Amino acid sequence: MRIAASIVVMAFVGLLPFALDSYWVFTLSEVMIYAIATIGLDIVFGRAGQLSLAQASFFGLGAYLAALTTTLPAGLQFLLVVATAMIAGAVVAIPTLRLSGLRLALVTLLFGELFIWALDHLGSLTGGTQGLVVPALAIGDSNSQDPTYGYMLVLFFAVAATLTAVQISRTQFGRRLLAVRDSEVAARSVGIGLVRTKVAAFMLSAIFAGVAGWLYAHVVGFVAPPTFDLFPSVYFLIAVILGGAGRVAGSWLGAAYIVLIPQAFSIIGQSNLFPILGGGVLILVALLLPGGLMDGATRTAGWIRARYAAMRQMSSNRRPA
Amino acid sequence: MTQARLTVEDLTVRYGALQAVRDISATFQPDSIVGLIGPNGAGKTTLLNALSGFTDITSGRVRLGERDITRLSGQARVALGIVRSFQTVRLLEDESVFLNVALGCERNPQPTVVEQIFSLPRQWRARRRDLAATYQILDTLGLSEFAGRAVAELPYATRRLVELARILVVHPEVVLLDEPAAGSDRAERDLMGRTLRQLHAREPFTMIVVEHDVDVVRKLCSYAIALDSGAMIASGEPDVVLENDRVQEAYFGVGHRA
Repeated sequence: MRIAASIVVMAFVGLLPFALDSYWVFTLSEVMIYAIATIGLDIVFGRAGQLSLAQASFFGLGAYLAALTTTLPAGLQFLLVVATAMIAGAVVAIPTLRLSGLRLALVTLLFGELFIWALDHLGSLTGGTQGLVVPALAIGDSNSQDPTYGYMLVLFFAVAATLTAVQISRTQFGRRLLAVRDSEVAARSVGIGLVRTKVAAFMLSAIFAGVAGWLYAHVVGFVAPPTFDLFPSVYFLIAVILGGAGRVAGSWLGAAYIVLIPQAFSIIGQSNLFPILGGGVLILVALLLPGGLMDGATRTAGWIRARYAAMRQMSSNRRPA
Repeated sequence: MTQARLTVEDLTVRYGALQAVRDISATFQPDSIVGLIGPNGAGKTTLLNALSGFTDITSGRVRLGERDITRLSGQARVALGIVRSFQTVRLLEDESVFLNVALGCERNPQPTVVEQIFSLPRQWRARRRDLAATYQILDTLGLSEFAGRAVAELPYATRRLVELARILVVHPEVVLLDEPAAGSDRAERDLMGRTLRQLHAREPFTMIVVEHDVDVVRKLCSYAIALDSGAMIASGEPDVVLENDRVQEAYFGVGHRA
């Protein structure tokens, strides 16, 4: 049943680009790219509880690596992105040895600002504030900037990221993350290494963001600092909180929100409204659904099931014995 | 079966000017159940912390068998099979009973994070082993029906059992329990005492229990150590220790005979 459903869903998303015009295909690719990075942030923030404001920096690291290594074969680029993201993630994780919560967030913010500073000041390499044009990655007889091909490329990695996140929930590593978030004392008492777990979470989260950034550069074809500064980092955080921490489907919902809603506002010509409405939505979710949209959906489903069961109970009681 | 005996020699823990534990020497025989008794502030929890590596030892030694573990971290001691509970239950409140208990499988050898993430063969075996162990201990403690429930929804006594299951899911060498029946009523205390005795009888391990309830100590423990103001004032058979004049005095005040 689950397998059949998965096949139907996969067939649907696989055929989607042939049914939509290229603008929407491109937009969906963007949603998937942001979903990969959001899933990554969910690992370090949603599950391990370490507040990070550097996710867009890892995203940018992957994107600029793509822009600077276009001459290398794609496989090699990918490995380079993964390796660099791992190192960067480990470096950003160092403050977690002493800090947590808002103080940790401030230090990760510092890393993010350093990254933007470096982009701005290494103009000869990074194009400075002007950014860089990224030549398309050849795939078969087309390339990554063809909407349909780009979509397929991103889809492959988005599925892999989703499966990885689901698999993590099934492992002791996944349980370690939750223990580090909820009770460091409990984690220590069963022998979990807090430092190792936090560093691993940061490294993994950076890999997801790095790969997402790498895809972003190849699909969008242009990279510039504003895509990778504090604001996108905050948006990733919003995506995790809004969707529901620790839930893969929540990361997808959150990513869809941060990509599609601003677009919807610009389509109706009111793009300035998004920050205002976005803030309102966040407050509402935080007040009404502290577990995020996914948690709200689960509870609603449970409520409907309970009502349905109660109704059936009542109607069967009414029947004469 | 526990092989190693836990010994402490001249153990002292000092917090600033306060000597929370003073020059305590004791031997915890393998597979024995030892009660730690004494009034509030006597140093019982501090001794437990020192044994489990949750506090620094100022001077003296702790040994497991021949091995000196005085300077080992809490994590390293857990790996040797020294596991503890807390006076207030420490669980992942929003997570399921199953997940909380499975967390204790950390003491089984776990595959690397990469193997876990890519679900390589070592991970399949580890997962099968850990699931089986978790279901088994849930069954033993009568928690199976709560496996999928969030811990926060459960009554306090049940959460105590969940914490116990997390300790016992992988067979421990030494179990340190800090007031396992705190916050429970008479019936729940007796039940906890009986449960502990049954678990211990099935698969023995050295058990060190901080407990206020004199009845529980009498029924459960084969040995008792009484502390007062950080020092050991009596040790031996629980009945003898509880009748000791200094213990009576520390517990019930001067001149009072229970």
